[in-house]
Amino acid sequence: MSAFLKGLGGVVLAAAVLYGMQRTTPGYGDITSPRPVAGKLGHRLEGRAFAIDIAKVQLARTVITKGASRDSTFTTSGVWVVVEGTAEALNESLTLLSAEWLGPNGVRYAMSQRLSSLPGMLSGQRLEPGLPTPVLMAFEIPESQVVGGTLLIARSAWAPLAEQARIEMVGVKPVDIHSSLVVARAQGRVPWALSAQ
Amino acid sequence: MSAEQRLTWRRRLFAFVVASVGAAAATAISFAMTVYEAAHPKPVPIAAPGQPIDTGRWTITFRDARTGSLPPTGIKPSTPKKLVMVEFDLDNRSATTSNVFSRLFAIEPPIANLPPPAFYLARDKSVAGGLQPDMPERMIAVWEWPAAVPVPEQLRLKVATQIHKQRDNLYGAPGWFDRDPAAFVTLAVGTSP
Repeated sequence: MSAFLKGLGGVVLAAAVLYGMQRTTPGYGDITSPRPVAGKLGHRLEGRAFAIDIAKVQLARTVITKGASRDSTFTTSGVWVVVEGTAEALNESLTLLSAEWLGPNGVRYAMSQRLSSLPGMLSGQRLEPGLPTPVLMAFEIPESQVVGGTLLIARSAWAPLAEQARIEMVGVKPVDIHSSLVVARAQGRVPWALSAQ
Repeated sequence: MSAEQRLTWRRRLFAFVVASVGAAAATAISFAMTVYEAAHPKPVPIAAPGQPIDTGRWTITFRDARTGSLPPTGIKPSTPKKLVMVEFDLDNRSATTSNVFSRLFAIEPPIANLPPPAFYLARDKSVAGGLQPDMPERMIAVWEWPAAVPVPEQLRLKVATQIHKQRDNLYGAPGWFDRDPAAFVTLAVGTSP
């Protein structure tokens, strides 16, 4: 009887251990997830491949772009987040193709493709080592996701184990939403000019 | 061979027979269930236009269908084209931005030589990029209809579903996977310029 109980105990213990291992095994997505480098709004964040410094964040209900021939108005059901900063490659030329706004509820909002033709957009800027380049990003998010957001910037959204800058967006509040933000082309080092209305 | 040895052989044979019968029964039942389910597919529900359909990854509400020659951009194409447009509201229920609209719905029965539709964002009157999660948008799917095929009076659409798997069966990676269709929708095709 005691041998039977011992055997049963062994089987139960093995099942429990296996179940625990099955539940806690990191998945492929976890194993290959990006390596985060943490930073804060207004401070230069230096990783291994690139450095980025987010200087200013502006919120708006509509974005108006001044084109060569005509102006376009971009409305949204949420709020536009227009982020200005400076990025620099550290070792080799690269382009940062992925930027996402991580809301406090864990949902990730990718950089809006609706404004991707603006001058100086992050995914269109080739970054060179030693040459800090001004970059512009625009996101479209629900108003509830403004406070407590984090900016995730990486060379690519899919590359496994790539470096990902996580910039905490401290002090960005929905109180400061402009009714509209005009983006015009500009001559000089910064290829855009933002003016709130 | 001693009596004891014979006994162990017998016990071994008995265990082998029990295991074999069990495995054979499991295989037979699983095969029979698969065959039965294939022979008796679950009826696909019929959804009315204007009724939200939950496809797992998206919530889609069809508004109307029309045919015309002017694409949603409002710019007349240089060569006249026969276009079939379906207007719908789309809400991304996943946790990330997505532009995978292509397998959202399909014309049923399929039409030969029909190129895949282009998706337009009604708000911008231009080709849609990724749709942000939890921010519903009015979208327009546009098919360039083959000149030889007449435009039907009614368009029957099969709406697909997808489920999210935390670990897929091949790599253990998270992803979205196709499942049975969610619904059929029939839209009357109107005309527009």
